[in-house]
Amino acid sequence: MREAVARYVPDGQELLIGGFAFSDPTALAHELIRQQRRRLFVMKTSGGVLVDQLVGAGCVERLLSCHVWNSVGPVAAHCFRRALEQRKPLPIQIEELSYGAFTMSLLAGACDLPFMPATPVQGTGHFTQRTFMPEKFGVVENPFGGGPVCVVPPLKPALGFFHVHRVDPYGNAQLFGPSGEFRYAMAACKKLIVIAEELVDTEVIRERPEATVAPGFIVEAVVIEPWAAHPTDAYGYYYRDLPHHALYGEMTRTEEGFERYVDEWIVATGNHAGFVAKLGEERIAELLVRKDRWWK
Amino acid sequence: MEVSATRFEQMFLTGARCIKDGAVLFVGFHWPMLIARIARRLHAPNIVIVYENGIVEDRLTPILPTSPCDLTAAEQATTCAGSLETLFMWLAAGRVEMTLVEAAIVDRYGNINTTAVGPYLQPKVRLPGSGGGTELSSLGRDLLLVSASANQRSYPASVDYITSPGYLGGGGERERLGYKPGTGPKALVNPLGIFRFDDNGEMYAAELHAGVSADEVRATFGWPIKVQPGCKVLPGPTAHELTIIREELAHAKKRYYLMPEG
Repeated sequence: MREAVARYVPDGQELLIGGFAFSDPTALAHELIRQQRRRLFVMKTSGGVLVDQLVGAGCVERLLSCHVWNSVGPVAAHCFRRALEQRKPLPIQIEELSYGAFTMSLLAGACDLPFMPATPVQGTGHFTQRTFMPEKFGVVENPFGGGPVCVVPPLKPALGFFHVHRVDPYGNAQLFGPSGEFRYAMAACKKLIVIAEELVDTEVIRERPEATVAPGFIVEAVVIEPWAAHPTDAYGYYYRDLPHHALYGEMTRTEEGFERYVDEWIVATGNHAGFVAKLGEERIAELLVRKDRWWK
Repeated sequence: MEVSATRFEQMFLTGARCIKDGAVLFVGFHWPMLIARIARRLHAPNIVIVYENGIVEDRLTPILPTSPCDLTAAEQATTCAGSLETLFMWLAAGRVEMTLVEAAIVDRYGNINTTAVGPYLQPKVRLPGSGGGTELSSLGRDLLLVSASANQRSYPASVDYITSPGYLGGGGERERLGYKPGTGPKALVNPLGIFRFDDNGEMYAAELHAGVSADEVRATFGWPIKVQPGCKVLPGPTAHELTIIREELAHAKKRYYLMPEG
């Protein structure tokens, strides 16, 4: 992960980060914080704790998202709130799409279509309130009759990082369970990097080809990082870590508390293996409920 | 025989009773998930629940998920698809019969704000944003809004930001702008009772929980809300129903759900 961030993510980079409160690649966010990236343009459908950390650590200049919160409790994403309410530690610019509109925008990007019809949102805040993407919605007359249609432009992020379950040496990446917008989102990225729980032989990939969410020919690079999505869940690998979400929510109520979290859990741990070691064997054992690879 | 419940507990019963056995539901984050679960345990074991991330849940999961994206929701699922299927092929295309969505701040015309209180660019309180809530309100049929609040702050005359569209400004604005017929909120359930929407898209008190007065309703809403004359009192829970509701609330607490104060 250290090398991937150093090589692909300079300051100011535009990047789409995958995950939807599961398969959120927290390991990537931690490494961006360790390497003190600045002025990033982050796109993420479901912001969650991952985006909250990047905002709190001052890595983000612009954010495109459909929501940002700590969904366990639920409690507020405190750093996100501080940035938008008090401009602390730094002001951020935010632009918002609803989840369905975001999905359709990525689908248009993936298919290289000029636009996609999306959720009707005329008259809502999403439609009228626009910041750095003034053309995020349009309305066209249905050419086949039947009135106005709300449309979204194609979204083609310069770079994407997505968590997957397993990958082979050619980048054939598999994900089990629900997949949200991941397939189209991955295909929309001009450059795609996958972060996998494990590296497997191509023969293992062949056993379940329908689980391949990104064929190797659209993948630029692969990072192998077990527990990369903790504290969110990885279907078939580990559950959502509720106590850790609660700990994060509690510690980040104040800026000082957030700094303590960063020092203890991100900086002092050195890398993701160090972070996992700090979680401890007992917690790891609790979360690893599905020890058997039941999909085989 | 009815037993006595708190208004918060009563809200779960009233909400659950709006759900018909066998229905295909789209269920949003938070209390709607608990309402659907309680309905499944009481009178609606055959409901089929769709979550935005792609999960189809057709039986009681052993563990209550903390959100639709807590993958304990996918345990024993019959389908794990994606958001194009759930939001567009199933919800927008009308294959989902009923939709439940939380409405933390909701106005006279059923517009929901989960984005920002105060000016958008300088918010007094910044809230999480829409997630899929906008789609649920924009596309969902038989849309039921749920709010655990009986505080006036939660019911302004008009919201500062429309995250999820109700009847917008009322008077048919929704239809004029191209939203599908049959969509738009049908009812709101909260600790006071059930509220419905008139032909103009305006919310009114339809049926109330035991002990809730018309004056109390008027004091809770930020506009002169109409209270249906001779408004029916909603039935309370039986001992069995209350036991199930309390079991599930205890379960929720164990799963880190924050409970309202008091």
